[in-house]
Amino acid sequence: MISGSNLEQVLISGRFAVTGELGPPQNGNFDVVRDKARILKGHVDAVNITDCQTAIVRMSSLTAGLIALAEGVEPVMQMTCRDRNRIGIQSDILGASALGIKNLLCLTGDHQKFGNHPQSKGVFDMDSIQLLDMVKTMRDGKKFQCGDEIKSHEPRFFLGAAANPFADPFEYRPLRVAKKVKAGASFIQTQIIYNVEKFARFMDIVRDLGLHEKVYILAGVTPPKSVGMARYMKKFVPGLDVTDEVIDRLKGAKDPKEEGINICVDIIKQVREIAGVAGVHIMAIEWEQAVPEIVSLAGLSPRPAPRRVDPRLRSSEAIDLIVSKAKEEAKAEIEKTLEQAKAEAQASRDLVLKEKGKITSEVSNLKRQLEEANAIADRKEAEIGRLMKELKETRDGRVHVRSVRRSVSDDADSALSSCSSRALTSLRSGLEALRKGLGINEDQLEALKRLFEVELLLSSDTAEQVTATFDEAPVPVERREKPEADSRHKEVVNLVAKGNVLLHKNDAAGAVDAFERALAIEPEDQKAGEGLKKAKEALEYTVSLEEAEAPAVPEGIPPCPEGMSPEEWQRKWVIRLVAIGNVQLYKGDVDKALKSFKLALELKPDDEKAKAGLLKAESGEAAGVPVPAEPDAPQKAEVPSSPVPKIAKVPEEVKTEAKREVPVTTVPTVIEGLTVFELPKETGTLSEREGSIQENLFKESCTGAIREISLGEGERAIRLGGASTLPFHLFEGDMPHVPQIAFGILDSEPEDWPDVLSKYYSDVFSDPVAWAKKCIDHYGAKAICLSLVSTDPNGMNRPSSEAAKKAQAVIEGIDVPVVLWGCGNAEKDTETLREVTGLIGNRKVCIGPLSDANYRSLGATAMAFHLPVVASSPIDVNLAKQLNILLENLGLSLDQILMDPSIGAIGYGIEYSYSVMERIRLAALTQQDEKLQVPFICNLGREVWKTKECRLPSDAHMGDQEHRGVLMEAITASTLLLAGGELMVMMHPKAVALTEALIKGMV
Amino acid sequence: MNRLKNNSYQVGKIVAFCCNYTASVSTDTLRDADLIPENLDVRKLPCTGCIEVSALLDAFEQGAEAVFVAGCRSGECHNLSGSRRAEKRVVYTKRLLEELNIDPDRVEMFFVHRGETQPIVDAVRQMTRRILKLGQLHST
Amino acid sequence: MIIAEQKPLDEIMEMISGVEKLLVLGCRGCVAVCSAGGDKEVGVLASALRLGRKKAGKPIEIDEETYVRQCDPEYLEPLKEDGKKYDAVLSMACGVGVNFIADRCPGVNVLPALNTTFYGANLSSGEWAEMCAGCGACILHLTGGLCPVARCAKSLSNGPCGGSVGGRCEINKDVPCIWHQICDKLTSRKQDQLLREIVPIRDWRPSGHGGPRRRIREDLLP
Repeated sequence: MISGSNLEQVLISGRFAVTGELGPPQNGNFDVVRDKARILKGHVDAVNITDCQTAIVRMSSLTAGLIALAEGVEPVMQMTCRDRNRIGIQSDILGASALGIKNLLCLTGDHQKFGNHPQSKGVFDMDSIQLLDMVKTMRDGKKFQCGDEIKSHEPRFFLGAAANPFADPFEYRPLRVAKKVKAGASFIQTQIIYNVEKFARFMDIVRDLGLHEKVYILAGVTPPKSVGMARYMKKFVPGLDVTDEVIDRLKGAKDPKEEGINICVDIIKQVREIAGVAGVHIMAIEWEQAVPEIVSLAGLSPRPAPRRVDPRLRSSEAIDLIVSKAKEEAKAEIEKTLEQAKAEAQASRDLVLKEKGKITSEVSNLKRQLEEANAIADRKEAEIGRLMKELKETRDGRVHVRSVRRSVSDDADSALSSCSSRALTSLRSGLEALRKGLGINEDQLEALKRLFEVELLLSSDTAEQVTATFDEAPVPVERREKPEADSRHKEVVNLVAKGNVLLHKNDAAGAVDAFERALAIEPEDQKAGEGLKKAKEALEYTVSLEEAEAPAVPEGIPPCPEGMSPEEWQRKWVIRLVAIGNVQLYKGDVDKALKSFKLALELKPDDEKAKAGLLKAESGEAAGVPVPAEPDAPQKAEVPSSPVPKIAKVPEEVKTEAKREVPVTTVPTVIEGLTVFELPKETGTLSEREGSIQENLFKESCTGAIREISLGEGERAIRLGGASTLPFHLFEGDMPHVPQIAFGILDSEPEDWPDVLSKYYSDVFSDPVAWAKKCIDHYGAKAICLSLVSTDPNGMNRPSSEAAKKAQAVIEGIDVPVVLWGCGNAEKDTETLREVTGLIGNRKVCIGPLSDANYRSLGATAMAFHLPVVASSPIDVNLAKQLNILLENLGLSLDQILMDPSIGAIGYGIEYSYSVMERIRLAALTQQDEKLQVPFICNLGREVWKTKECRLPSDAHMGDQEHRGVLMEAITASTLLLAGGELMVMMHPKAVALTEALIKGMV
Repeated sequence: MNRLKNNSYQVGKIVAFCCNYTASVSTDTLRDADLIPENLDVRKLPCTGCIEVSALLDAFEQGAEAVFVAGCRSGECHNLSGSRRAEKRVVYTKRLLEELNIDPDRVEMFFVHRGETQPIVDAVRQMTRRILKLGQLHST
Repeated sequence: MIIAEQKPLDEIMEMISGVEKLLVLGCRGCVAVCSAGGDKEVGVLASALRLGRKKAGKPIEIDEETYVRQCDPEYLEPLKEDGKKYDAVLSMACGVGVNFIADRCPGVNVLPALNTTFYGANLSSGEWAEMCAGCGACILHLTGGLCPVARCAKSLSNGPCGGSVGGRCEINKDVPCIWHQICDKLTSRKQDQLLREIVPIRDWRPSGHGGPRRRIREDLLP
């Protein structure tokens, strides 16, 4: 007896031994090992516990072996040389011995390459034979490998080894078994046997060498679970010989699992017949359940009762006992907690009920109140009805009652807001008081009523429909009777509302008036104060474009309202006087203007603005103020009315009619000497017209398409690009969006524009907002390109922050798409455009030009705000493409880019521009050059109008200067359109009209 | 070829290493007909077998957008296996380019029968297409 | 000889990312013979690095030089001063050369261009295989001249493991099982008795597990 293990005893007794295999889990789950051990218990004499088989990390064989041992299953601990050196191995062996493990299978181990840590360093301090030798020396020689003595308790193991009869070289395999026996192996477990015939030959040699008498040989078997598993083993497990017969049997089987068990049993029966086979080693990999059946079918059960399997560690029964005790304790604990929780829950339920009761009574209380309020509202409604009737009678039955009634009836279901009903009550009493107190005549009363009605409506939500004037019969504040406090407040609210509406409609002067009236009544009113401030600002910036009657010049200074110091009041009054003066001046009423300015100067002799105004008025400049140039005066009527509603002096119905009368044509008027024509459109397709010529002879379809880009937002957004053909080659492909024209404007007065151009805009040179609006309202601009020329460090060098504010005003003042064009100085543009993007919030303006010098910083800005950009490069295909690539690398989408190829005017290198644009477009459309499939923007107006030809005066030789310039601009534009341009930036309204007519005729 | 000649503006320099016996004869023919695009830099080698990996890399370093070697067809090499060696070096160069994050398609081996011009035209076309697809290697 | 192979270019590029003036220094010893660090390879590497740096927009100045050997002090003499002119010296020698420069030329920033891989032989043009592990305790007389320490995946001492099939190693069908060859050779030489004897567990100290190794031959010492 070596170790006295159960396996050793069975083998010595001469019984056919049966061992099983237990693979520890890839986790720390105790139960997995225990459950597997329980399945095998009683059916095998010992169980191999694998040591990280196939080099996959698993629970250690020592630990899992101990768990099995605690279940009363005798382990055969496997030990490989792959993971530990001689120090680690000997240490583990001592531990295993101490805890009662008695069988040790010594292996070299699978190479780490096969496992889940192929990067690891394989130890292989020794091989399996050297390991056997070492452990045997520890046992029999009582020495560590180094030779040191093991003074007591030397590890005593029944040693085993593996053999693979199917590996090469075949003749060597029995010799290797002999070597292992010599090194200390007492039993051998073989590789899985399917090829019994070859195993028999192996055994012949083993017997020839007399090894069967020195070592117990256990034949390895495995029930194949499926054909797939059998095939896998045949193909991928080195040194495993799965015969075709086995695979065929599995393939033909109804139940492959059952057949697998049968195969295994058959093999066991066959190897049992081979002399020298002392037992079988059943490796049911992850199929431990099959083992009892196999053992039984092979006639190997029952197994002899295991002897001397005595775990040194606590048995599982003991563990179970502890566990059940702990369970009981835990259960009691849980029940206690549960009880407590239940009591708490009950308590909170009670609380909730109590609260609920309280709330219910509150709700019913509120309901009662609501009903009362409703009753009051009903009473008021009745009163309103009566009032309406009265009102109707007092008027000659015109418009406004109707609208009032409509709004009343609209709201009838939900009852009038208490505000409206209160206002109507106060209106009634106020009117009566006025009539009695002032004895005002019928007309004035009528006007007053109308004013109040309208104001009332304005303060409600129906305001947008009301366009009636507020200026009729203004009621001087000082003549008004003191109304009761409530209605006074109402008055203020109405006045503020009116002021805001007026401000919204650009009637700044009227708004100032309204706010000031409101302040006169209620000087503390915050909204009125704010409104006044805004209105005054607006008054300073905007010059009213309408022919509204100029406000009367007030005589003297009105009494200072309460809550305002006399100085402050005077200052405000002066501002107002100056504003009125300016309006008068603009209207051409020099006398009234003079009066205003003089009044202002009397109050504040050093007021700069008043002085300047007076000077202007005196110099008669007003007369020279361009009653804007002739050509656009007649045009104005025919240009479609701007979408921004203007203050009209007509009642609503009339205005609607007037609107209807506006012609819808977009073609501007005939300009003298230059007929803007409509191109006759081609009626048939090209193939129809060509008739006999085959289509494929002239048609050349493109494979690429230009990307689409969106400028601006909302209804007036425009889309560009999308073409899948050369410009206007509509017979070859699609051009979903027609080219567009943006009006180029500047943020400061142009220095060098010829008269024939500047006369159209000189009245708005000082104010880019008005300039932009003029382009839109008078010339039908669909987009605006604002050039920030004032920022040029070589010119005015206006600070970025200032320029940005101006740009912001333009962007926020108009609703067509805006292109912001910097001064061309990369650094300054970066600064300015970044400033603008910070100011305008979510507005989508297109920014540019981005050059190779500033594309990074501006590109990042554009990315952050999702703005389209103009990528500007000096007339070169590769440079244009490179810039697009750089922008794309930065993260910008090509869908955000407009290419500015840098263009020249006609006579100034346009053929170069044309050629480069054409090449870019050809590359984009026919060579799938994706980086160039981007729309063009051509900033041509500025190029044209700085040419010499546009500046030479009219003479017999050169002809009319204006016609010359217009044609230069229009022809430049048409050339660039044919080269592929998608967005033209132009300046002269006539040139734009011509170009638009051309585009219309072509598509 | 005429189209190619005109399109050279947008593809940059292409360097062609040509075998003295075969491909160079083709390029000479094309040159006589004034059909060599101006961006094509033809360098003659006594045999493509003597092409060095460093020469291919240097061509890129000196500004080429693409490089190709045009050698004899299999079995027609004057020096028996010259073009086969060249092909292996081209493959090795591709690996180096890849490690440098440069698309290996920028270098290629072509085989040309003596006197044929079409394979050279095709080679230039193909390299041009690749440059267009890959974009500019050198910033201008 | 010592076999080495060039590191991937991206690794070298990373290594020299801050370098503006570089010397690529080859060695005409083993690495020249195994086509990893000779004159030709110096040229190719220098060209590739120039191209890579130019593409990255950071051109680099590179000089090229090849020494007879980098593992003998006399050949390194000129580098002691010349090397200081460069931000870095990229050695294309084996690890020995790199170490030796680092030892001998203080002030020179030496970087490795190669991975030194093994002691091997040239199987055919362009193919090298490991033949020796430098384990310091040769047993080739017991194994028919074939080294199981270098050429067996598990460095087995006592014959082929169970994964040897058809003369091939279990880790890779392209790797021959050296123990199969040893068996064949010893059997054919009628030395198969050697296969039956247990080769005892090895002493790994001479193979470097006992610390850095040094060899001294007293009679040659200066």
